[in-house]
Amino acid sequence: MTFEITEKDARKMNNKLIQLWRFIVLNLKILKAVDHSKRS
Amino acid sequence: MANVVIIGAGFAGQTAALYLGSALGKDHNITVINKYDVFGYTPSWVWVGVGQMAPEKTVFKLKPVYDKFHIHFVQGTAKSIFVDDQYVLVDKADDGGEERVPYDYLVIATGAKLNFAGTPGLGPHDGYTTSICSLPHAVDARDKLFQLMERMERGEKVKIVVGTGHPGATCQGAAFEYITNIHKALLKRGLRDKAELMWLSNEPALGDFGVRGVHVRKNGRLLSSEDFIRAIFELYDIKWQVQTGVRKVEPGRIYWENYEGVEGETEFDFAMLIPQFLGPGFTYYDKDGKDVTDQLANKGGFVLVDAIYGLDWDTLAETPEAWPAVYQNRKYKNIFAAGIAFAPPGSISRPFVNPNGLSITAAPPRTGMISGIIGRIVALNIIDLVKRGRMTHAERMTEMFAACIASMGDSLWDGSAATIVIYPVVPDPRTYPNEEGRDLFVTDMEMGLAGAWMKRMIHTTFMHKLQGRIGWKLIPE
Repeated sequence: MTFEITEKDARKMNNKLIQLWRFIVLNLKILKAVDHSKRS
Repeated sequence: MANVVIIGAGFAGQTAALYLGSALGKDHNITVINKYDVFGYTPSWVWVGVGQMAPEKTVFKLKPVYDKFHIHFVQGTAKSIFVDDQYVLVDKADDGGEERVPYDYLVIATGAKLNFAGTPGLGPHDGYTTSICSLPHAVDARDKLFQLMERMERGEKVKIVVGTGHPGATCQGAAFEYITNIHKALLKRGLRDKAELMWLSNEPALGDFGVRGVHVRKNGRLLSSEDFIRAIFELYDIKWQVQTGVRKVEPGRIYWENYEGVEGETEFDFAMLIPQFLGPGFTYYDKDGKDVTDQLANKGGFVLVDAIYGLDWDTLAETPEAWPAVYQNRKYKNIFAAGIAFAPPGSISRPFVNPNGLSITAAPPRTGMISGIIGRIVALNIIDLVKRGRMTHAERMTEMFAACIASMGDSLWDGSAATIVIYPVVPDPRTYPNEEGRDLFVTDMEMGLAGAWMKRMIHTTFMHKLQGRIGWKLIPE
């Protein structure tokens, strides 16, 4: 099954609320990775 | 009083300098040697290359930052290193003559030497392609792109090729970002239908990026970076050709060889191809003046550190501890290498040699965040050595995270970016016993406006951090 970017996906990509959520999630993921790595 | 010398003021060197200056600057001698008197924020040169960002917004003067951190600055080019007498011979800028800079601890953080000569006809100086690997190159690429756009405005149809210009090149992420930004810039000017865009790369598969690609779980199924990038290229009507090593460039024509050993040509009106990266290529001398470079650097000029070298790729892929932890030369233990300057134990992506004997292998990326993290580890260990006599910090690329954010326009309202968060950069099948060898929660891949915000946030916070402004230590590398 090939992945394609549908019109629905494209709308989501510019929906400000959804993107604010994704922005928070991406930052949390980075913080988790920073925490996991041996930052001291 | 210890003398700590850092050669280079890129991500790795600047990060190391700030940590060292803040911990030791008042009581010890910290010196940075750099060819230029400015720091350049490399990731944003993609925007400079399409005219979306003014060049001056990507640089800042080093001296005022160093004054704040009690760091000495020598503007010049380091030529050779005397490992027993412990000094660096520097050609000072503006014909300032030679200077011996003594060290007790040395950090080599020069970044990459751009080996345009490795591919005849490549590069903006003696060749026919452009580059975004330095600020003057990015400005040159922008000017040439604008000239091309003028031709397109007159109705001419053109072909634009972006990718890698050497069979062993790395940094595919930057090239990917450049081609998507060109797409966006052409759209804005109403010229997209006048250009054929093509991706030409040495990756084993689309979306490999020299890190063996990425797989993430999306809506219950596994999505590969190959599928993800293919979907973006299809959406943007960008053609692609991977598994290809560029051998030579002539005006308007790229000559290449692929995995099958087939030789071919691709025509272009504008091309931005990333050259091979080499190490700093210093000559190292012992106390008798004997050249001991082979004990400190590999054939590419990269500094040998505490990695396990010489493993075959399959063994390396199963051996996380083969990747260096403290970036220290095994023989000369007061010499460290950070960022691109250290010699990796091998490639992350599977290497390939075609039937003609040509190795077409994406080299491991070690830029940006990775360089910054290594700069921090090296600095903290030198601080440890000066204060306590032993090192307490270590971080392998099998433990590091990286984010590759490939923007497609910089607007915070309608921009977009493909964000790829990878953790760890080098898969570690022991810690993460899944098919990927990676943390499947943290590792992510998506496209949208949030990525444009991330990209802008990272530009702003990194420029803030690397100038040593308030709270700089709180911002992760």
